[in-house]
Amino acid sequence: MAVKIRLKRLGQKKRPFYRIVVADERAPRDGRFIEEIGTYDPNQEPSAVVVNEELAKKWLANGAQPTDTVGKLFKNAGITK
Amino acid sequence: MAELIRSVQKEEDTLAHIVELSLLYDFYGALLKENKREIFEDYVLNDYSLGEISKERGISRQGVYDTVKRCTKELTQYEEKLNLIEKFAKIKKDVGRIHYLLEEIQKDSLISDDSKKNLDVITKIADGIMDNI
Repeated sequence: MAVKIRLKRLGQKKRPFYRIVVADERAPRDGRFIEEIGTYDPNQEPSAVVVNEELAKKWLANGAQPTDTVGKLFKNAGITK
Repeated sequence: MAELIRSVQKEEDTLAHIVELSLLYDFYGALLKENKREIFEDYVLNDYSLGEISKERGISRQGVYDTVKRCTKELTQYEEKLNLIEKFAKIKKDVGRIHYLLEEIQKDSLISDDSKKNLDVITKIADGIMDNI
């Protein structure tokens, strides 16, 4: 089964906060995921992206597919070009 | 047509856009009809692609795209009428400024103990305002 790297919205209402997680493509929405590899906090100015680069690269090398949003985030964080 | 949709989607698929949509959802999402809301949630909160949602629900990709678009339009119209997000942003900024000024005053070593207590109360009130809007 394909593995995806997605954003997962957390945080209380009106204060969006995201985890960057590695999950099976068809993982249920209740939050089960394989590993958390970072966070994205748009509440800060400028928004704060924290990514465990080592893990991110490992998962990408193993064929995990980032979503468009995560791809963009990785690009901004300098993990991918 | 598919090409066009892809390019439009690419433009909008920025992080800022997703954050904006998820704020719209926080304020007005409860007003969306349930089946539409679920699709919107998958797209905006769970970061599922149009293709994934379409496969899972057995509807066309175009259908998913249209639903997301329609939801976005509906939520945007609520904001245009009610301006809750705009008001929220303004209050958030003002409360941030209150916190900043409080910290500045607290640095002053000459203020009395009573005034210090009052500053603490003001800090709590400001926090309370943020929690309640």
